[in-house]
Amino acid sequence: MNTAIETRSLSVTFATSSGHVTALHDLNIVVPKGTVFGFLGPNGAGKSTTMHVLLGFIAATSGEAMIFGKDVRETIARQSIGYLPERPDTYPFLTGRELLHISGRLFELKKHIIRERTQSLLEKVGLTAAADRRTATYSRGMLQRLCLAQALINDPELVILDEPTGGLDPFGRMDIRKIIHDLRDAGKTVFFSSHELSEVELACDHIAIVAEGHVIASGPADTLVPEEENLERYFMRVVREHSDASRAKQQPF
Amino acid sequence: MKRIIAIAYVVWLNLLRKKDLYVLFILLAALLVTLVSLNIFGLGHATGYVKDIGLLLTWIFGWILSISITARQLPTEESRRTIFPLLAKPLTRGQLIMGKWVGSWSVVSTATAAFYALTYLIVVGMGGHLTAPVLVQGFVLHATALGVVCAMALVFSTRMNSDAACTLTYVLSGASFLVVPRIPQLMAKETGLGSDLLLILYNFLPHFEAFDIRRRIVHDYGRMPSGLFALSLLYGIVLIASLLLIAWIAYRKKHFSRGSML
Repeated sequence: MNTAIETRSLSVTFATSSGHVTALHDLNIVVPKGTVFGFLGPNGAGKSTTMHVLLGFIAATSGEAMIFGKDVRETIARQSIGYLPERPDTYPFLTGRELLHISGRLFELKKHIIRERTQSLLEKVGLTAAADRRTATYSRGMLQRLCLAQALINDPELVILDEPTGGLDPFGRMDIRKIIHDLRDAGKTVFFSSHELSEVELACDHIAIVAEGHVIASGPADTLVPEEENLERYFMRVVREHSDASRAKQQPF
Repeated sequence: MKRIIAIAYVVWLNLLRKKDLYVLFILLAALLVTLVSLNIFGLGHATGYVKDIGLLLTWIFGWILSISITARQLPTEESRRTIFPLLAKPLTRGQLIMGKWVGSWSVVSTATAAFYALTYLIVVGMGGHLTAPVLVQGFVLHATALGVVCAMALVFSTRMNSDAACTLTYVLSGASFLVVPRIPQLMAKETGLGSDLLLILYNFLPHFEAFDIRRRIVHDYGRMPSGLFALSLLYGIVLIASLLLIAWIAYRKKHFSRGSML
């Protein structure tokens, strides 16, 4: 099994007060195992919806999604996933250490493993000194790092990061970048979305760009972007071209 | 099972650190001591009166606690958005519901046990008498009733916000407690559709009177027959299991994202 994530004709439609909104249209992505995969798109493109389907928060209207060959609707598919949500929300009454302990218990890890991993992850994200403080006293950056630590407590094969550097200062962003590199070096698969295109350019092996629920460009990072462009310019161009084309389709005359 | 216990543990930590329970316990003690010392009905020194008031307050406080604690469990996970990292783990929605119920019910039952102990100490301190086996039976059945109330609150909170779930559980469980035992009398006065509706209500709503043996404790009537006690317990377990099943059915396909799904 060389594929970490695979979606086939994945479609998601939401019912809203003004009708139906299709968030994903026949989305096909393949994330090879052991790669850092950047999932890009403008706001409302369907990035978070795709992640939510992969994590079982919402069900696809049609199509299928697999993680390491297992249907995402099966609980077992989440055994080898670590997830960092877009907003680092935690239980304010727990300490950082307790949050990691409880996360480990939810993966049914052995107590000594939880203890060891908690300690090493707290060191890795630079929260050892604040480990026994309640998370209510943490800054946004500290919460982001704690949530990243809880996403890694089960030593996951696949890490899904939704805007991992959002709200972080340059030092925090550098730490996250280092963690992503370490994960790649350890042979893990990282699937992440970000608006920080320079971050993506530095970290990713593969890139997919989504707009209006469609994959509009996808491929290895070093061949996808033409030499005369950087990722930011390429991104702006393909998104604009897609948007012009879909507008023209809607108003043919 | 480990996952259910982990969820229940979070419920415990939350409640212990928010200190709501301590406040309620102090309030109960203050109320009980004040009622006894003020001697409002001129019966302050009659231990039967103290037992009656103590157990009544224990039932009222247990009822309020069980609803206010349980009904906010799932809605708070959603509003705080901690539901996302939680469900991203290999935790089934059934385990989440079970963990929330175990956590809420065990907290409420422990608090109720403390209320019973307090009532016992005050009664004994006043030179009164409470038969321990009857008190234990009373507590076990009371805890079962609280389990039903917790499960009911959990059912409503799967699809409602905590305020709506609280209100609905208060109304439904309060009506069940006060009205259901009187339905046979009301039915005797009704005919036709009214009688049929009352019959449906009588069969549909939980019979909390099956768990209430306060009169037996206060008047020292002795232990409840074992068969009857086991039957009441079984009835409670069936009710709890049915309500938790409904909660799971309502929650298992719930979508957590913007908008509602087709």
